[in-house]
Amino acid sequence: MTQFRPGREVMVVGVGLHPFGRFPEQTLSDLARDAVVDALQDAGVPWSAIPIAYFGHVYYQGMSVGETTLAQLGLTGVPIINVENACSSGSTAFWQAYWGITSGVFDMALAFGAEKVPGGPVTVTADDSPARYVGGDHMMAGYALRMTRYMEETGAPPSALAQVTVKARQNASLNPYAHRKETYSVEDVLNSRLIADPLTLYQCCPTSEGGAAAVLCAADALDAYGIDRNRAIRIAAATLTSGSYNGRGSDHSAFSPYRTEPAALQAYEMAGIGPEDVDLVQVHDAATIGELQQIEALHLVPYGEAWQATVAGRTALTGDIPVNTDGGLLAMGHPFGATGIRMVHETVMQLRGEAGPRQVENARVGVAQCSGAGDVTTVHILTR
Amino acid sequence: MPVSVDERCLRLTDDDGRSGVLLGMRCSECGVSVFGPATFCQACTSAQLEGIELAADGVLFSYTIVRVPPAGWPGPVPYVLGEVELPEGPHVLAEVIRCDHDALTVGMPVTLALETVSMGGVVESERVVYKWRPS
Repeated sequence: MTQFRPGREVMVVGVGLHPFGRFPEQTLSDLARDAVVDALQDAGVPWSAIPIAYFGHVYYQGMSVGETTLAQLGLTGVPIINVENACSSGSTAFWQAYWGITSGVFDMALAFGAEKVPGGPVTVTADDSPARYVGGDHMMAGYALRMTRYMEETGAPPSALAQVTVKARQNASLNPYAHRKETYSVEDVLNSRLIADPLTLYQCCPTSEGGAAAVLCAADALDAYGIDRNRAIRIAAATLTSGSYNGRGSDHSAFSPYRTEPAALQAYEMAGIGPEDVDLVQVHDAATIGELQQIEALHLVPYGEAWQATVAGRTALTGDIPVNTDGGLLAMGHPFGATGIRMVHETVMQLRGEAGPRQVENARVGVAQCSGAGDVTTVHILTR
Repeated sequence: MPVSVDERCLRLTDDDGRSGVLLGMRCSECGVSVFGPATFCQACTSAQLEGIELAADGVLFSYTIVRVPPAGWPGPVPYVLGEVELPEGPHVLAEVIRCDHDALTVGMPVTLALETVSMGGVVESERVVYKWRPS
C-alpha cells in the first residue's frame, strides 16, 4: 500500500462513553466532556499528558466546541481540531489521531465526538438546495431505495431485514449505554409504521444524543506514561476513503462495492489479515439494509448472502461473525460525531474481555466500519 | 416567467413551464456522462467536457414511497421517490408522479414530467421541478 507509511505501532489505551439517548438538560459539551473524562480515567492518564485532540461533530452548536469542551478540563494550549465528516466524523477524528501518532509527531492523542441530532428525517444538503425540492435528500429514503433493489436482486424477504433489528435489540438489551434497550420480534419490526417503503420505523436508527472518546498512545511510549500494557489494544489498520466514481452518479444499488470495499481491502492489507481472521465487527447499520450491505462489502459473507447469514443467526453474539455486538446504530442510536468512536469503544471492550454479558468468546480481531455522506468510509482493525 | 429549480440540471423549453430537457456533461476523453454541472470529469478528472441534453425516457432502477418527508418538503405526502436510469448512464433521483403505488416495479419505463412547485423559505417563490411519470 504505497500511500500508507505507518511508522510507530499505536494502541488504544482508554475508551469512554456518555450513554446514548435524549438528554435535554445537558449540552453538547457536557456529553463530550463526560466521555473524555471516562476515557482518561480508563487510560489512567491525566488530561495534561495529552498533546493533541480531535473532536468529531456535525450539527452546529457554536464554533470551536472541541476547544470549549476541553477548556473545562484545563487550558493546556494543545492543538484541538474540530472534524466534520458527516456520519463518519467520529471515526475520522480517530483516524487522524492514529496517523498523528504513527507518523511520529505525537506520543499520544485524544479522539472524541458528541452530537445532539435533531428529530425527524436526516438531510445532507443545505436548506435552500434544489435537492430539497426534488425530494431526493432524505437519508432513510436513500436506504429504502437500496433495500428495494437488494430485495429485488437477492430475493431477501422483509422478515430477513427485520431480523437485523431483532438481533440489534437483543444485543442492546445487554448494554446499559444503549438508547433503545427493549427487545422486539420480527412482527413488531414489520408492523411498526412505514417511514419509506419498505423501511419501517424500527428498521431505522434513532436520531440520538451521546458522546464517545478514545485515548491513543504509541506502543513505545506506554511505559513512559505508566500505561497498563495488558489493557492496551493494538490498531492494526486505519483507513479512510471518499467516494470513487461508479458510473451512475446518484446510486442506490443492491451492492455498492465502490463505497465500502476500497477502505476494507486497504485495511486488510495494512493489517496483514483477511476477512476470515475477523472475530467480530461493528458496521454502519443506520438502517437494516446498511448492515447487510456493509458485511458483504467487508467480504465477511459473499455478496447477496448477508440476509441468509442473518436469518441463520451467524451475525448474533453466538454466531461465527457477531455484528454490532453493542446494538449498533439501530439500538444505540446515532449521534454522528460519537458513533465511530462508540464502535471503537465496543471493539476495545470485547478484545479486552470486558464486555460483560455481551462478551464474544476468544475475541482477538475486531473491525469497526463507519460510513458517511460523501461516500466516506472508515475501517479500523483492532487486535489483542 | 417560470424558473427552473436548477438551470444547470433542467433547461425549460417553453414559456409555461411544461416542457424542458435534463442537462448533463459528457467527457470528451473517456466518454462518461453525468447529470448536472461538472467542471472536471468524475471518472478521469479531465477538463475536456461538453454540455449534453439527456434523454427524457428512462427506466425505474429503484423506488420508495416516502411517508415521512424531510423538513421543508413542498409536495404531497406520501410521495414516490424514484431513481431512474437514463440511457446515457447517469441515474437521476426525483419524485414519480401520476403513478399507482401498487403498480410500481423495478425496471418500469418512465418519462420526464415537469411541475411547478411553490417553495417556502424567506421569500416565497415558484420553481419548475423535474419529475418522472410512468411512460
